[in-house]
This record gives sequence, structure tokens and C-alpha cells, in this order.
Amino acid sequence: MLEQRKKMIEYIVQEVMRRPDTKVEENTPLVSSGLIDSLALVDILLRLEDLTNLRIPAGKVQAKDMDTVELMFSTAQRVGKPRKG
Amino acid sequence: MNEIKSPHAFPFRTLPEALLAAPPEKPFVTMWTSEDEVHSVTFGEFTKHALQQAGYLRSQGVRTGDTVVLILPQGIPVMTAFAGAMFLGAVPAILAYPNFKVEPAKYRFGLQGVTANLKARLILVDQEFPDELMQHVRVEGAARLVRCDGEGSSAVTADVAQGINPDQLAFIQHSAGTTGLQKGVALSHQAVLTQIHLLSQALRIGPEDRIYSWLPIYHDMGLIACFMLPLVCHTPLVMQSPTGWVMQPATMLELISAYRCSLAWIPNFTLQFLARRVRPGDRSSFDLSCLRALINCSEPVRASSMDEFLAAYPAAGLSPNVLQSCYAMAETVFAATQSDVTQPGPRRIWVDGESFRKQKLAVPVSKDSPGALCLVSSGSCLPNTQIRIVSGEEKELGPGGVGEILIHCDSMLDGYYNRPDLTAKALRDGWYWSGDLGFLLNGELYVIGRKKDLIIVAGENIYPQDVEEIVSAHPAIYDGRVVAFGQFNPALGTEEIFVVAEVRKEDDLQNSPGIDRALRTAITSELGVGVGSIFLKPPRWIVKSTAGKPARSTTREKLLSEHAELRAQGESS
Repeated sequence: MLEQRKKMIEYIVQEVMRRPDTKVEENTPLVSSGLIDSLALVDILLRLEDLTNLRIPAGKVQAKDMDTVELMFSTAQRVGKPRKG
Repeated sequence: MNEIKSPHAFPFRTLPEALLAAPPEKPFVTMWTSEDEVHSVTFGEFTKHALQQAGYLRSQGVRTGDTVVLILPQGIPVMTAFAGAMFLGAVPAILAYPNFKVEPAKYRFGLQGVTANLKARLILVDQEFPDELMQHVRVEGAARLVRCDGEGSSAVTADVAQGINPDQLAFIQHSAGTTGLQKGVALSHQAVLTQIHLLSQALRIGPEDRIYSWLPIYHDMGLIACFMLPLVCHTPLVMQSPTGWVMQPATMLELISAYRCSLAWIPNFTLQFLARRVRPGDRSSFDLSCLRALINCSEPVRASSMDEFLAAYPAAGLSPNVLQSCYAMAETVFAATQSDVTQPGPRRIWVDGESFRKQKLAVPVSKDSPGALCLVSSGSCLPNTQIRIVSGEEKELGPGGVGEILIHCDSMLDGYYNRPDLTAKALRDGWYWSGDLGFLLNGELYVIGRKKDLIIVAGENIYPQDVEEIVSAHPAIYDGRVVAFGQFNPALGTEEIFVVAEVRKEDDLQNSPGIDRALRTAITSELGVGVGSIFLKPPRWIVKSTAGKPARSTTREKLLSEHAELRAQGESS
């Protein structure tokens, strides 16, 4: 598993869910399974931008594109643009 | 109760007449989806689309007085379909568009309940409405389920129904987001126009105003403040979808800045999102000097959220009067009170914490008094509105006395649609019993919270009973031994759902992670909201009332006393 994805899972489990004992894998549904609320996606999106060093343009991502860690990274690759500076 | 009479001063008597009176060339709705996907229509173009939608609805058998349910995503088509139905003298109701989390079987059940209660003639969905849900939707009686006609570009336009009576029902708006206890609030043209007239005066709406909104259009704040008010006052509107905003909150400020918007309504948590979830480096790019009022509504107004927002944007050119508040609900069309937009507002007071908690009395003290609580006003009554505060024993309370808020005005609901039982409970002698707790002081209303244990997540109302029923259905949970309540999360700036549930056998606690996950999936797929924390407890842990039912508030207190970190978190706001 890529280092970035490991870091994202760590962030979700520890900072967003705050339940370090929960097992989350790359393809674990997060929003549709109720593990996280869609309100938390904004924090995850900011973290995704930092981890990928990409800017994700507004309006190009829907909640369903962020349901698993795998989807998050493929979405970032699909719509992300290089960050300035 | 006939003492209040405030006929509106508009030169039209119904909402279709208001739309037809708009200057055709003036911009109306701009729907912003992304930087390369923006749709805009003028009032003239909007009206033309609405007449085409009316033609389509008529071709599908819709007639004057029929109820039409619209399940379309946020955007111009749902608005033109709504106006099109009103052009026919039909009664539209917008329901939330299913999100990707929804489970088809649960969705079918919820939709059946709502449409049966509305006695809908037609349920209109869009071309993208998921096939798997379409197959599951079964409508009964005379109702029909149809996909709308592309972008509403029917070749046939309908004539506007003649002789629509101002006292006739204009539309139905829903007062809660969940399905089990969904209450449709039936409103007449007269009631809606009266409310908009008084609210637009209180807000001093003028020809230069432009409204920004991310609010869902099926919710009263989105429907009345950000669709009916601009339609009637002929005010341009810039909108985006709620999900688009919540994923990237900075877009709200980008759009206000770029389109020079002057007014917006927001639930309280928005301020915190904007303060905490927009990168500091991005904040300096906004010019918000155009914004006259950001009106905080639909969740208790918190001073800490307001301060945090102002501190985060010191260089954005914000007006000192920009933060305002109102107290609103679907049952009174929308606003019952509004703060004074010409003053830095809303008013804040500090009250003695002990008298407030023990005697339910707000006694003003100085800001520096030990234990002083800061409370924020929701403003004073609109001119057609009276408010009384009553105790649990239904005795009228004086200034500062905390009790249930009762409202009387002439822009009130005719009743809950087809629910005389619920109407009789909520409307007594012309007064609407809100179920909210608050007090009056110096002519202003301070709203404290809910009497009826309602949970408000990001402005959306969730009944604890709905959550408890879903949790009770799990085989490992002791049926009926479940309590759900709302707990404020200061990091989010809104409440989260907390659940306490007893397992049938103590051994089941060993499988807590599995049960926790199953319960989250069940709640999310049925109600469309996530859960903050689930606490699984051994048998006989939950406190029961004398009637043998779980006592919500006592169980909540017991939980908070066992988990001190939760109490500290909730109070740090």
C-alpha cells in the first residue's frame, strides 16, 4: 500500500473517527457505511490535497467519490491540478 | 385571534402573479456547480421554463388542486417545476433527492409513506434518478411516477390557471428531514406573501440586493428565504448545492465575492466551517464588503461561532453589521423574529448561570460575573407576530422566564397536511406550540434549545425516535432499550447523534465493534446522516421512567457522568 494511503487511513481512524481500534482498509466504505459523516469529508479533502500535493477544484468531487480511501486517491488523480507554490 | 392583520403591500395576490410581474430581463437564478459549469436564467427565461414545465405536468394529468411531489436535485429545473405546478393551481412539495447512501428498500418505504400522506397525483423525478431506486418505488392509488421531460423543454406551454384564490394552498413544505414523522406544512399564497412582505421590510430588501445560498431547497430556509423571497421581491440569486458547499466551504465566500452578493442565510455551524476549514492562505483573497447580512438561523445562535468567524476574516472587508439572526420555522412560513440589520448584531447578554439552570430564569449580570453565560438574541417579532412563553404547567412567564415558545401570527400554517391529529397538538386557540425553549427580554427573543429532544444536525431536524427505532431492530439490542440524543460537537459547530443501547446479553459486548458498524450502516442508509458515538451497555443500564420507557434526559446525564470527557467537550463551546 502506498505510504500516502496509509497516512490517510491513519488520519481517518485517529482524527476523524477517533476510534483507533477500528479496522479500515483501502476499500472500506466510509460514508455509505456510516463510519464517518459527510460533514467530515471537508477535513478529509483538505488532507487529501496535502498528501497528494494537488489542488482539487471546487464542484468536481461528490461525496460518492470519497467513499473509500482508494476512491479518494483515484478521484484526486482524475480531477486534481498541480498546486501553486 | 383576529387582532393581527397585516395585509401585504405587493401589487399581486398570488405567487404566480408575483413571478409574472418580474422584469423579464433581470437576472434571477445563477446555479453554480463548478468553475466551468454555471447556468443562469433571467426572470423571463425562468418564467418561460416554468410555463413549459406546467405544460408537461398538465400533459401528465395534473390539474388545479392536485399535489405534485418533486424529487429533483438542487438546481433550476426543480425550481421551474415548482413554479410550473403553481401556475396550474396545483400544490407542489419538494422532497430531498436520494443521496448515494440510501438503501433502496428503505427509500421505497419512506417515499410510500410521504406520498400516501400527501395524496400525490404525480411524483416527478429527473432523468438521472437511479434506476435501482426507480424499480423499487411503488406508488399507490391515483398517483403516477414519471421522469421529467429533459430540461423541462416541453413544446407545450400551459396557460396560467385563472382565478387562483389567495387563500388557496400554494405549496407544502416539510418541517423535518426524516420520513417516519414527516409533517407537511400546508401554506396559502396569502400566508407566504404576508411573510415575505414583512421579512423583506425588516431586511430592507432593495433593488441592489443579491442573495447567495447553498441551502437545500426542500428546507424552509432554502425554500422561503432563498427561492420564494427572491421570486417575489425580484431579487437575483446565486446558488450551489449543499453537498458542493459542505465539501469545499470556501466556495461560498468565493461566490459571494465574485457575484457581489449582499444577503445569505446560514445555520450556525457554517460560521465555524468557514473559520476552521478554509486554509488561512486562501482567506485573504475574498472581498466580502458587499455582504450586508449573514443571517444565522435554524440552529441555536452561538456567540463563540460568530467571534471565530470574524476573527478568521479580519481583512475581508466585513461590515460591522454583517452577523444577524432570526428565529424561523416552516409552521410560520419562515421567520417569527429578526434582528435589526441596521445595527451591529445580534444583541448578546450575560445571565447568571445558577439562576438559569436551577430556577429557569435569565437574570442579566455583567460579562465578568463568575459563572455568567453568554446568550445571543434572535431579534424581535415581525410586526404580524406575537410570542408568549409558558412554563411546563402552561402558565404564562414574564421577562427572563424560560419556557416553551408559543407563536401567533397571520402567516401561519393552515395545518399539517392530512394530519389533523398533529395539527390539534401543535395549534391551540390560534397559537402554535413550537416545542422550542426560550425567553423574552426587552422585547427580544432568546432561543435556548428544544423541549422535544429534537436533534439538529447541521440545520437538519432528526427525531430521536427514528434513530431509536432503527437501533432497536438489531438482533443483539434489547428492543426498546435505546436512547438517542444530540450532543454539541465544538469542532463541527453542530450537534452529533449519540446513541446509548443495551445489548440483550452481556456477552454480546465482546462483539461491540461489529454491532457498532452494523448500527451505523443501518442509521445512515435510512436517515442519511452519520452518527457521532454509539455506547453499547450491559442489560438494565438505561434509566427508565415511571411509565417504563427509557428516560432520555436521565440516561443522557448518566452517560455524561460516566464519560466526563464528553461533558467537557460539549461545554467548551
